[in-house]
Amino acid sequence: MNLAAGRPRGRSGRGIYRMDDAVPLFRMEGISKRYGGVHALDKADLVVHAGRVHAILGENGAGKSTLIKIMSGVVAPDEGRMLLDGQAVSFADPAAANAAGIACIFQELSLIPDLSVADNIVISNPPTRFGMIDRKAQQAIAMAALERAGGGDIHPMELVKNLPLSRRQIVEIAKALARKPRVLILDEATSALTAADVETVFGVLRRLRSEGIALLYISHRMHEIAELADDCTVFRNGRKIATYPAGSKTDDEVVELMIGREYNSVFPPKADNVDRVATPVLEARNLSWMQRLNGVSLTARAGEVVGLGGLDGQGQRELLLALFGVLRGVSGDVLIDGEKRIINGPRAAKAEGIGMALIPEDRKTEGLMLPMSVRDNLSFAAMSRVSRGGIVDRRAESTAIDRMMKLLAIKAASPSIPVASLSGGNQQKVVIAKWLMVEPRIILLNDPTRGIDVGTKQEIYALLRQLAAEGAAIILYSTDYDELIGCCDRVLVLYDGAVKRELVGSDITEHALIASALNIDHQEAVA
Amino acid sequence: MTTEKLDTVKAPRPNWTSRIDLPVATAFGCIILLLLIGSLYSPNFLSPEYLLQQLKVGAFLGVIATGMMLVILLGQIDLSVPWAVTLGAMMASAATAYGPMGEVLAIPFGVLCGVLMGLVNGIGVAYLRIPSMIVTLAVNVVAQGLMVAYTGGFAPVDSASPAMRYLAAGTLMGIPNAVIVWAVTGILAVFLLGRTTFGRAIYGIGNKEAAAYLSGVPTQRVVMIAFALCGGLAAFGGVLLAGYAGKAAQSMGDAYLLPAIAAVVLGGTSILGGRGNYLGTIAGVILITLLQSILSVMQIAEFGRQIIYGGVIIVMLLLYGREKSGR
Repeated sequence: MNLAAGRPRGRSGRGIYRMDDAVPLFRMEGISKRYGGVHALDKADLVVHAGRVHAILGENGAGKSTLIKIMSGVVAPDEGRMLLDGQAVSFADPAAANAAGIACIFQELSLIPDLSVADNIVISNPPTRFGMIDRKAQQAIAMAALERAGGGDIHPMELVKNLPLSRRQIVEIAKALARKPRVLILDEATSALTAADVETVFGVLRRLRSEGIALLYISHRMHEIAELADDCTVFRNGRKIATYPAGSKTDDEVVELMIGREYNSVFPPKADNVDRVATPVLEARNLSWMQRLNGVSLTARAGEVVGLGGLDGQGQRELLLALFGVLRGVSGDVLIDGEKRIINGPRAAKAEGIGMALIPEDRKTEGLMLPMSVRDNLSFAAMSRVSRGGIVDRRAESTAIDRMMKLLAIKAASPSIPVASLSGGNQQKVVIAKWLMVEPRIILLNDPTRGIDVGTKQEIYALLRQLAAEGAAIILYSTDYDELIGCCDRVLVLYDGAVKRELVGSDITEHALIASALNIDHQEAVA
Repeated sequence: MTTEKLDTVKAPRPNWTSRIDLPVATAFGCIILLLLIGSLYSPNFLSPEYLLQQLKVGAFLGVIATGMMLVILLGQIDLSVPWAVTLGAMMASAATAYGPMGEVLAIPFGVLCGVLMGLVNGIGVAYLRIPSMIVTLAVNVVAQGLMVAYTGGFAPVDSASPAMRYLAAGTLMGIPNAVIVWAVTGILAVFLLGRTTFGRAIYGIGNKEAAAYLSGVPTQRVVMIAFALCGGLAAFGGVLLAGYAGKAAQSMGDAYLLPAIAAVVLGGTSILGGRGNYLGTIAGVILITLLQSILSVMQIAEFGRQIIYGGVIIVMLLLYGREKSGR
């Protein structure tokens, strides 16, 4: 092993087998998976050895989840093969993968809260006697599995819903262990845990490693990987980029591997004419909600595009929903034009004096009524503007709609065709246009360009700039770092429900975004 | 139009054939088919008198189904229709007994009772978030209990007011008043659904409640009002039925639950909500009425009639209940 390179943050070679053992326990060769036209995985290889912890790294959408789903039999690959002990295998379903010795602990807990711990642990294959579940055997199995998973203090008859989150995670591991796995996959299994709980889980994982189980560890937390992993593999855009012994690369180099993309300039020039002394149109103070938001403060001024960055699921969506008044029980203040306002729902948010719009995340379920016509969708949020006394003024409605369809160049044969028949990009334009119909001053966008073509993206970027130039305050959450860099005057990077870092102007670089998103200490990450 | 600088096909003016949707056309086709089958049995089936008579009989169902349609468009259901009908009939008749003032207020009072009943449903569904299937079923039973308590278990003795009789059984220039009432109700419903913000909100909520809410529509209020309208229309149907029969009767609404739902759904309104137009409901009502009439004219035994009636509804739902899979 190469112990000389890099900072010794990960101590490679601590597993009981070496990487170059004759036959690896599990191997994937040339695995590809397409969803529609998108390559989720493109000829990916992976070699997993018994008795080692193998970390998988990559940005959102790099192909990690697809990889795991294929390994655990949830989806079938389009091409490529998998070898277990050198023998080709294929899994028809998760049960087949389980039977072959591959168990997976997914990001979301898979326990049923109203069943007992023991019921949960043996749920897929309970021991039976004369056709009935053998309670005694079930308890014994559960107890043994819990013991191995470091949860010997958990009573098997306890209901899962009575356990705290960290204990549930132990039960989750016990459940996986009860299937006697040879390969154990942990997909963001620690993301819900506190630091102390993580230590407990790590102790368990180290022991499992010493028992010869191969562990595949997926995490966004770099320091966890450094602490635990023996080998690392970086994925990017569905391709395997590199496999290296843990600790042989610096964090900088790892981030470099994860980015690696060409930076393409499809963005309109930023025209920074923001009046920095004026009262912000929107200000949030100390917003907190259910541990998903932990005291977020932000400001947005007229003419400004403020980005929300960070890894997926660090509270960005909740922040937008909280601002829009959709979440119940948010603490903290929202100020509009410097005055405290109570926004208790979308109706209040879009009302005069506030003028807020939210372009939601999922256009199919939150943004549009797909079977309804383009016209009905466009005027839906702005009904009060095209009606009088509750009766729709058809002339005013079609004038407003024609204007919007022109402004955004929505390609539809006629406004009366169902919005479902438009292309994804045009559907997204309808969502945006629908909200522009209410002439908002504050526009919140939740990942507005996901899954749409480059051409339309470009149009949307230009539109955002134009709206900002006309005086709107825009808050843009995007999972695409390029977009944040290209569109935003300022980016707030969220981590664990709080603003970790604010990047302004030329400080908004991919490097800085990723480094702060991963919560790596900023001195060592920013070159 | 906006097509000048776009590279799409020029927008053709949507011609009338594209505006007719398949389920509505199917329903009307079935009506014609039924009439032809009936005319083989007796030429009377094609006579204007018979057709007008069917429209008159269908008018009661038509009024009730109008309310049901509003609720189904929301993706909900109202199972309290039977006793909303009876409630309207009994309360209107009861008011009639209170002198001339009672006679004048009989119809509004009956309808108001139905609105209140619908309001309870609506509050349960919209604000308390109880599934409509449960809350309306429960409210139906409560209403039944209240009515039985009111009559002491005997058949109601009050009779319908002259106005009720006139609306339900009278004629105006040869056209039964009930048909005119249904027509007016229908025109109002078409206007409500097509031209008002309330109507748009109903379709929006039925399609995607989350999207409607995020668009700033007061979804809870809309749902509540729709249930209140449904209750009111069911009670109004009951008022008319009482006027037709001369008096109210216990469980007179029982025969209207399945036909009301079936008429709406046969007319192409999606049982999942969000899609359907009133023309279809008209067709559905006529279809059901004709079916019942033909089965009784053919003198098929009661059990056979029920089997055929239920079977036809199932077959027709199979015919166009499927194209929904794309949603």
